[in-house]
Amino acid sequence: MLDKVLIKKVLEAALTTSADFAEVFIEDKFQTDISLLSSEVQSVNNSKVFGVGVRVAKGYQRVYGYTNSPEEKDLVKLATDLAQSFPGESASITFELEEMKKGGTHKIKILPSEVMVDEKVSIIKRADKAAREYSEEISQVAARYQDYVQNVWIANTEGTYVNDTRVRTRLAVNSVASNETDKQSGHNGPGGHWGFEFYDMINVEEEAREASRIAVTMLHADECPSGKIPVIIDNGFGGVIFHEAVGHSLEATSVAKGASVFSGRKGELIANPLISAVDDGTIPNAWGSATYDDEGNLQKKRQLIKDGVLTSYMIDKLNAKRMDDECTNSGRRQSYKFAPTSRMTNTYIENGDSTFDEIIAATKYGLYAKKMGGGSVNPATGDFNFSVGEGYIVRDGKIAEPVRGATLVGTGREALLGVDMVANNLLSAQGMCGSASGSIPTDVGQPTIRIKEMTVGGRKGAN
Amino acid sequence: MNFDVLFKKAKEAGIEDVQVTYSAGTELDLEVFKGQIEKYQIADSAGLSVKGIYNGKMGTVRTEVINEEAFDFVVDNIIQSANAIDSKDEVFIYEGDAEYPKVEGLFDQTLNDVPVAKKIEDTKKLEALVMEKDKRMKMAQSYYGQGTTTVVMENSKGLKLEKKVNSAAFYVQAIASDGEDQRSTFEFAFSNDYNDFDLDKLASAAVEKSTSLLGAKPCDSGEYEILLTNTASCALLHPYVGMFSAEAVQRGVSLLKDRVGEIIGSELITIVDDPFKAKSPRSGSFDSEGVATQYKEMVKDGKLTGYLHNLKTAKKANTKSTGNASGSGVGPSNFYITPGKMKYDDAVASMKKGLIITALAGTHSGANPISGAFSLQASGFLVEDGKVVRPVALITVAGNYLDMLKDVEGVCDDLDFNFGYVGSPSLKIKKLVVAGK
Repeated sequence: MLDKVLIKKVLEAALTTSADFAEVFIEDKFQTDISLLSSEVQSVNNSKVFGVGVRVAKGYQRVYGYTNSPEEKDLVKLATDLAQSFPGESASITFELEEMKKGGTHKIKILPSEVMVDEKVSIIKRADKAAREYSEEISQVAARYQDYVQNVWIANTEGTYVNDTRVRTRLAVNSVASNETDKQSGHNGPGGHWGFEFYDMINVEEEAREASRIAVTMLHADECPSGKIPVIIDNGFGGVIFHEAVGHSLEATSVAKGASVFSGRKGELIANPLISAVDDGTIPNAWGSATYDDEGNLQKKRQLIKDGVLTSYMIDKLNAKRMDDECTNSGRRQSYKFAPTSRMTNTYIENGDSTFDEIIAATKYGLYAKKMGGGSVNPATGDFNFSVGEGYIVRDGKIAEPVRGATLVGTGREALLGVDMVANNLLSAQGMCGSASGSIPTDVGQPTIRIKEMTVGGRKGAN
Repeated sequence: MNFDVLFKKAKEAGIEDVQVTYSAGTELDLEVFKGQIEKYQIADSAGLSVKGIYNGKMGTVRTEVINEEAFDFVVDNIIQSANAIDSKDEVFIYEGDAEYPKVEGLFDQTLNDVPVAKKIEDTKKLEALVMEKDKRMKMAQSYYGQGTTTVVMENSKGLKLEKKVNSAAFYVQAIASDGEDQRSTFEFAFSNDYNDFDLDKLASAAVEKSTSLLGAKPCDSGEYEILLTNTASCALLHPYVGMFSAEAVQRGVSLLKDRVGEIIGSELITIVDDPFKAKSPRSGSFDSEGVATQYKEMVKDGKLTGYLHNLKTAKKANTKSTGNASGSGVGPSNFYITPGKMKYDDAVASMKKGLIITALAGTHSGANPISGAFSLQASGFLVEDGKVVRPVALITVAGNYLDMLKDVEGVCDDLDFNFGYVGSPSLKIKKLVVAGK
């Protein structure tokens, strides 16, 4: 994209003052976004994104800037302007950029940028048709098709020079079921670090019907009772609670400032010993995977918790200096418009020894949260609340009637310590995670787990 | 940039008409925490959005690679996009109006000329001022943001329009604590004239608003006379702005459907859409379709006069666009309840058993724009016999927005804005239902 000599010039311009580190991030991305409502394609938007981000740092203090211009004069000016934040003599750092390394761990068969729009449209229409045919009670279907090919080049004054290509594909279906008095919705959104071949690997119709199945089930569900009861959180998207209430508190962004409940607790028991958890950016073709992170370091697998003991945080380059800890290659960002910081990739709780059936059978009375919805977490305290997208009452060891409107309330620490059964059916699901460096694709995952007691808020009142 | 080459290429490819919107801008963002610069970010960016009519459908494409080589990509993608659209709505590329209003005060070069060092110093000063003013202040974090944008719109029917705006804002987030209770506030000021920023006033407001709520507790449940402060009223109006859109009306999701000419609020209430407001980046002489903007009283002395339209909704309703095209839909410019004559202190003094509501939370989920119903977490002050008695928190106020507009008994003279474009003065309301103890 930009020539190596030019990149070096920009980096050198950034080091003319007392800064000790500089980085160039070049992004060239092509994306398609298709939306469908009322069985009609409403919009098709292809876009070409191009920009260059320059980061200049001294110790862990950093400044950032970006431009869409590929011109030498604009890039050198940007680097020079940023350098003015660190007045003083030049640190006289000399460096040579390595031979460019190319990422290619996650193989792609069909680049979406080479697929015609009408083929993509046919996917979204198949999904709409299947979602509607599931039941006469489906009154509306909104679907979204997205893909992109993101090419990045990352170079820094330590000599790093890499090129990585991230290809991501996703289909999201939202079905609404209604009768005379009520409306309920269901959502399903499979995706991966795949090209258009993804649609030969999944069954589009089945994925769409899943959204409708949830909507129809919830239409016929009663309001959930409230109280402190055992809660079984299913595999797949159930991992969102771990992601939000624990994962974010293990990112250097919050740990380094001492703002996390887990700051300074490495080596301590923070969870029930049944819990081991991982953040792994190397899983082949997973939604949150890439060959390199957005600071040009190889993605890797991080053991966050082992048998209940906190073993690692997720740390980017600059926070590693601030925390005096090792960088875990966790720097990620949405685009050239964001400076990178520590973020999750594919995060999950590891398999345990129980089976799903054993967990259900061992529960006399409780809530089975089969699909989780959205929620929020207070980062300072770890307090969270999550809605349950599809829930059932478990009675005498059997899954009984469906319930809706349930909310799970608690804190990350309590939930981690309260887990008393972990199944062996690990599954991941796709999400978009928003934080300081923008919105990025992440997988959440876990096997089915049981938390022995949790506050369930429902509209039906106490049972 | 000369777009004639693009227009020619589009025509040759069979695209009837095409319109480009080129926008370029610069940004500066600063963040200060504990006297240190936490964030310093500068940007210089540009993008080109193009839409074109092909076989009666509107194709769209966007690119940040802006040169003549990208034109083939643009043409090809407009056709692919248009071919895939099913929606049967009529689409338009506008030839332009005979005249456009002159809008003053959109761009102020002196804002950009103030040295960055001064802006950094002031952002640090804002944080320090908050911490100095009261020993109960536990934490403050201050921000400065500034942007300049130039928009050029041209189409194959000969339309050529340009607008340049700049704006800036100081924000401060502050937390006060008395050892037992902790209260936070978020204060801000917008302008494109750097001289308008009064850091001391902003810091004082942050300190006053957070400390005065310390020790707040719920009040008894029941009906109260309400004084909704200007910022709280902005927060409550915000989710209901959409009901004035003809798009919402035509989709059947607006509470104001079929109600033009009806009384929907107290005769004290006048609501305007004002694209000429000075120092607002939302102001301008043309909308996103190139239609000339106009000042409109949407509600005049309590009576609904009409809706906000773009070309598409206007055609469907057999009327004219109001110059409110926004992106590919409909949106307001600066939307506000006009100020009245009542003094805030007189409004407080007029309440026998009342509540001053200073903040509302959860308006994105607790205020239903389709039914008008709202039930929101609120905080403020209890008033008895015209005197402020104590701070109140963890209560909910519930009602219906249109019923509430009818119950407005007084409109204060203190118009203020939030979200960059929604404005209101403080409103004295007959009553709302409060759930507390």
